[in-house]
Amino acid sequence: MSLPDYGFYILCGTAVILLLTEAVRDTTNFAQTLVFGLTQGAIFALVALGYTMVYGIIELINFAHGDVFTLSAYVGTTILGLFAVNEGSFTALNLAVLVIIFPVVMLIMGGINVAIERVAYRPLRNAPRLAPLITAIGMSFFLEGVMFLWKGPATVHFPNILPQWTTTVAGVFFGFKDIFVIVTAAILVALLAFFINRTRLGKAMRATAQDRDAAQLMGIDINRTIAATFFIGALLAGAGGIIYGLYYGTVYYQLGFRTGLIAFTAAVFGGIGNIPGAAIGGLIIGLTAAFSDIYIGGRWTQVVIFGILIGVLVFRPTGLLGMRVPEK
Amino acid sequence: MVRARGLVVLSMALMVAFACGGSSPGTSGSKGTIKIGSDFPVCTTGGQSTSNGVKFAVDQKNAAGGVEGFKIVYQSFDDCRQGSYNADAGVANVRQMLDDSAFMGMIGPYNSAVAKAEIPIAAPKNFVMISPANTNPCLTKDIPSCSTAYHPQDLRGSNPNNYWRVVTTDDYQGPAMADYMFKQANIKTVAILDDSTVFGVGISGAFEAEFKKLGGTVVKHQEYKKDQQGTQFQSLLQSMRTASALYVGGTDDQNICIPRAQMKQIGWTAPFGGGDGIETTDCIDQASGNETGILATSAGADATQVPGAKDTIAKFRQAFTGANDFGGYTMQAYDAANILMTAIGNAIKSNGGSMPTRKQVRDAMAKITTFQGVIGNYGFDQNGDTTLKIVSIYEVKTGLSDADVKSSTGVCGKKLANACFVWKTQFDFATSS
Repeated sequence: MSLPDYGFYILCGTAVILLLTEAVRDTTNFAQTLVFGLTQGAIFALVALGYTMVYGIIELINFAHGDVFTLSAYVGTTILGLFAVNEGSFTALNLAVLVIIFPVVMLIMGGINVAIERVAYRPLRNAPRLAPLITAIGMSFFLEGVMFLWKGPATVHFPNILPQWTTTVAGVFFGFKDIFVIVTAAILVALLAFFINRTRLGKAMRATAQDRDAAQLMGIDINRTIAATFFIGALLAGAGGIIYGLYYGTVYYQLGFRTGLIAFTAAVFGGIGNIPGAAIGGLIIGLTAAFSDIYIGGRWTQVVIFGILIGVLVFRPTGLLGMRVPEK
Repeated sequence: MVRARGLVVLSMALMVAFACGGSSPGTSGSKGTIKIGSDFPVCTTGGQSTSNGVKFAVDQKNAAGGVEGFKIVYQSFDDCRQGSYNADAGVANVRQMLDDSAFMGMIGPYNSAVAKAEIPIAAPKNFVMISPANTNPCLTKDIPSCSTAYHPQDLRGSNPNNYWRVVTTDDYQGPAMADYMFKQANIKTVAILDDSTVFGVGISGAFEAEFKKLGGTVVKHQEYKKDQQGTQFQSLLQSMRTASALYVGGTDDQNICIPRAQMKQIGWTAPFGGGDGIETTDCIDQASGNETGILATSAGADATQVPGAKDTIAKFRQAFTGANDFGGYTMQAYDAANILMTAIGNAIKSNGGSMPTRKQVRDAMAKITTFQGVIGNYGFDQNGDTTLKIVSIYEVKTGLSDADVKSSTGVCGKKLANACFVWKTQFDFATSS
């Protein structure tokens, strides 16, 4: 072990000890915050996966990804508006709508993201790296503008169609919603892991990420593989947007900027390009935000998140789990 | 709504035609036009409904023959950028008005932070500003709590005062809610959340000071920034939930009412109160699922509680039929516009019936000591503050009948049209202190 490694472990150890002290001091409060942190983190993880996949394959920081996430919530609330869903109590119609809303919105977002890739990134694939970065920022503003014109600047209501069941276990208050968010996110991440590791297309993606030219020589259709990456990234962001809307009940057009920034941080934190890293990074950032809000104060949360990021990067420049994809 | 407006314009045109044809020459429009502007965030329902009040007053005045033979042209400026108020946009609007010599004054702005940026450029030009909604005390008063912020003299320099307002200030608004919670609702511990804006910090500070003075305990005072917090407030709320009520200092465009919805999500049932920044339609929508019982103050008498205003409100409702056309500051804006037009009229008279200068309008405005408005009879002190020190308290009631909705403030949810702010009580600081 090298010196930076020791620094890293000392840093982690201190954080864990501080948290354990709080956990012993007021266990209920700690457990309650843990619930909030896990739900937040699960959503960040879904968005972070999109960042990390795209970075892994074409080394582009896709700034528009956070806005794809927000747009999916906008699409979702519009589609839900077509049905006479019942807010407040769970009906058979709610269940039916819930089952169809996920695939429909996810597919729509996948299509939109593939179109974004085709228009804004593919023509610039061999351009200097700064060029697609700028089009990504431009695409982000474009999507925000679309949402602004579509629904206006005020917050947009997302129908609350989940069962209202809540319970208190040992003083910790949680409901169906919390379980729903965590379980759905976990299922999606598991499906993604299966897809990347066990399918032909997943293998093609890994190969393209490793060496694009060699992959092409082996007969892999690069354009199709990259488009598939954007498609899958948007599926996850789309699900994330719906989950966010269902859980928080309110979205607004600028939401993607902040969520995207934090999810991107989570991806870097876990080791950008590394898929399990992004999922774990998202969870840790969500927990950090929740614990910082309660133990340190809301005004310091952003400082704490980025402070930890700096700390991790100083001691472990490749992120928590390291980059599994070699840098070119 | 479009059709209704068309009708108004048509009837107005008819009335003007009658006025011109019927009476002797020298009525409306014959001497020329005088412009007045307004600067509100009209992208929000609050800003738009306030602008409606000005438009209604000007339309009425023109229909009655204008001001001393001059026709008033009203132009509404928007200080929204990216969906919420922006001081730079407000400054650009005021510059635009200053560049056009026909503008004799303006109504607005809506937000204190915008006023802070606009007064310094309007004051040297003697450009009259009358705000129907600014409540930050430091804009007009030199009180100790302003020492860390700014003073009126920093804003206007050595120029005479050019800024008036028809609402009272946060140093009454915050304490009014503190008095209500402590004395009437019997709440002894509160937590405070503010949105880190000029308004939010000011009003929550005033609330905190008064609540402590009364003997209450402030468990925690947290703040957040919209662009950093997103909509995730649960852990912030968790850190405050030992309190028996939550006071929020902020405005709906900073998402200040989303915590109300999330209080339910974390199982915290407690009263939720705030300033005039939450007495809005968007606030009710943000609190979706937990609207009932939101408490809000408004820095003025409630127009629906003033007997003389009933008639004006009814007429307004005929002219503006949209559900969200009437807001918490519509009648304040109506009064402010009439005060400005009165000052312009006085200035014309003292100028021998011809077009006055901005300086003359400002001087005439400074001389107005009593005014009979729809929100009461009041005057202004030398700082530009209203002598009316009334703060109203409103509460959101849900499941109202259509008749109840009509008799409420008219500030109702967009999603839930039968959830409205209903007048609860008022505090008059002019008599009590």
